[in-house]
Amino acid sequence: MDHLTINMRSLFNPSSVAVIGASDNMSKLGFHVMKSLTNGKFPGKIIPINPGSNKVMGIDAYPSIKDYKGEIDLAIVVLPAKLVPDIFKECVDKGVKGSVLITAGFKEIDDPSGEHLHIETANIVNDAGIPVIGPNTFGMVNLNRNLNASFTPEFSNLRKGNICLVSQSGGISHLLGFMAMGLNMGFSKIIGLGNRLNIDFDRMIDYFMSDPDTRVIMLYIEGIDDVRRFIDSARKNRGRKPIIAYKTGKGKVGNQASMSHTGSMAGRHELYRSAFDQAGILSIDNTQTLLDTAKAMSVCPLPEGPCIAVLSGQAGPSMAACDLLESEGLKIDSFTGKTQEKINELLPPLALRTNPVDMGPAWYDSAAIQGIIKAVMNDENIHGIIFLMMFASANVDALKGIRETLIQWQQKKPVISCILSPPAIWDEEIKELEENRAIVNYPTPERAAMAMVNLWKYVTIK
Amino acid sequence: MEIITNALKEGRTVLSEHESKEVLAYYQIPVSREIPVDNTEALIAAAQKIGYPLVLKGCSSEISHKTEKGLIYLDIRNENEARNAFDKITKDIGDLKGSVLVQEMIKGQRELVIGLTRDPQFGPCVMFGLGGIFTEILKDISFRLAPLEKRDALEMMQDIKAHKILDAVRGMEPADKEILVDILINVGKIGIENEEVKEIDINPVILSGGKPVAADALIILEKPNV
Repeated sequence: MDHLTINMRSLFNPSSVAVIGASDNMSKLGFHVMKSLTNGKFPGKIIPINPGSNKVMGIDAYPSIKDYKGEIDLAIVVLPAKLVPDIFKECVDKGVKGSVLITAGFKEIDDPSGEHLHIETANIVNDAGIPVIGPNTFGMVNLNRNLNASFTPEFSNLRKGNICLVSQSGGISHLLGFMAMGLNMGFSKIIGLGNRLNIDFDRMIDYFMSDPDTRVIMLYIEGIDDVRRFIDSARKNRGRKPIIAYKTGKGKVGNQASMSHTGSMAGRHELYRSAFDQAGILSIDNTQTLLDTAKAMSVCPLPEGPCIAVLSGQAGPSMAACDLLESEGLKIDSFTGKTQEKINELLPPLALRTNPVDMGPAWYDSAAIQGIIKAVMNDENIHGIIFLMMFASANVDALKGIRETLIQWQQKKPVISCILSPPAIWDEEIKELEENRAIVNYPTPERAAMAMVNLWKYVTIK
Repeated sequence: MEIITNALKEGRTVLSEHESKEVLAYYQIPVSREIPVDNTEALIAAAQKIGYPLVLKGCSSEISHKTEKGLIYLDIRNENEARNAFDKITKDIGDLKGSVLVQEMIKGQRELVIGLTRDPQFGPCVMFGLGGIFTEILKDISFRLAPLEKRDALEMMQDIKAHKILDAVRGMEPADKEILVDILINVGKIGIENEEVKEIDINPVILSGGKPVAADALIILEKPNV
């Protein structure tokens, strides 16, 4: 293991963080970084570095990191690019273990001096084995350690959980982060890779495969420099933890000038897709499904087969779910004789009692609904359950009635739901069920079905 | 490989169909039996050796896509037809350096395409798909990066929309997937072991009673970056 890898542990779990460019001035990024650390309730030592003040946000500040006597594990840098090489030399001398380089103005700008700075800075940190997130990034967040090393304090509003996001775009990271808040999803870490001075996707995969806080790895990719290295790192970890990736930039198809048909059909995007398949990375093609899939993977076990039971309080939504499940290769098979008998005891014949089951006629009878759910969960033909229920005034107590059964099941087989009511009626009950891992809830039957589809798709490619 | 180094020495970057098939055969990829001829006596002898029905093709490193140039004659049943086709091809090739390929006619309704491309970022990539005249219209293809493992080859065959064509459909035998797996892996090997190979088109690979045979081949070279 090289030094850089060893130091990544300290990068993400520092006891002390310096903010080089800290400021009380709201128009400076250094202000927002300080706010992120303090609002995020970072328990370790925060060391603002600013030659112009002796306190920033009420915390003792220092003119340079040399002037601080204690250890500095992580240095967040928000000063102009041309100052960065000297700052990093100081970091090396000080024994800093890792850095978040928020500053822009390196390879990404047209001016060739940017590229020179990039190379010069890379050489300094690579020689010392210091991992750097960035440059040109919003930063990174380690929620389980209350470490918000970014310029967006609001990332700390996210629930703690086991999903990590590694993103090539700051904008997408913010988008996904705020969408996730609306979906009540929990994250372990969010990393803005920026322009990847020395930390790229391949190192992130290696790191997160061993990170006990992370169960699902979510990637947003625009283009990777050393694609083979990335694919190799994913391939050697294939099946260990799910990696789901959204890649944008479809571009044009293949090299039209190619003399061979193969060459003219091998577009960059096709090759990325194929490489993901080959490495066991699940490809997703939009932000909403990316989050929906991560959410299901963070809570549910993987289904052991493709047979899904669809249980619904009303027939219509179940048809929407079934259409999608079947068009994506899952099966809505029959129950075993034993299960079907049980259901027939509990539902009158006017209901659709075979899979998908319309429990509407038993709306008044929570015990019946519980009985049906239990029987189906224990059916050996069934590998996963989609549960749908629309509020309808007369069934206001329905969730209370089935709460126990759902909670006790504890996701022995995946249970994914679309339970919907007008705002504020069932919200608390649904939240409680989700927090108890009883269900993973989605706003539409199609999204619930797609989450189940992607769990199974991952099983087939891992 | 000698064929490759010789071609590059001659300043050529395209191997003829016959040369391309020699490379494939070297890597254990099943190719159609064929004999290049450049005169009528050799033609008749070759036709007798290979046996009717035959395919006659213009073969030259200067022709890469024969259907467009009308240089293929299928289903040649006898000596007369062979002589006629030979004359027509020789006239059409004209001044281009080349010969006429006397080839067994592979019987089979299902055609696949297998290829290789060397991408500057991804390196050598193997392609598999629905072949024949529909290749560029339907683009029902899949890719994997070389070197391929058996799992990759099997998965890429399932990835195409028309993958059921490999099953026992409409009274035809199922495709021999073991041989197809080996072909895919070996096409990848050609790319890994020969830096000068830039692209390979094998289209069609005809399933004859389930057994895949390369009925045509094109290999494009480039001088590797030193």
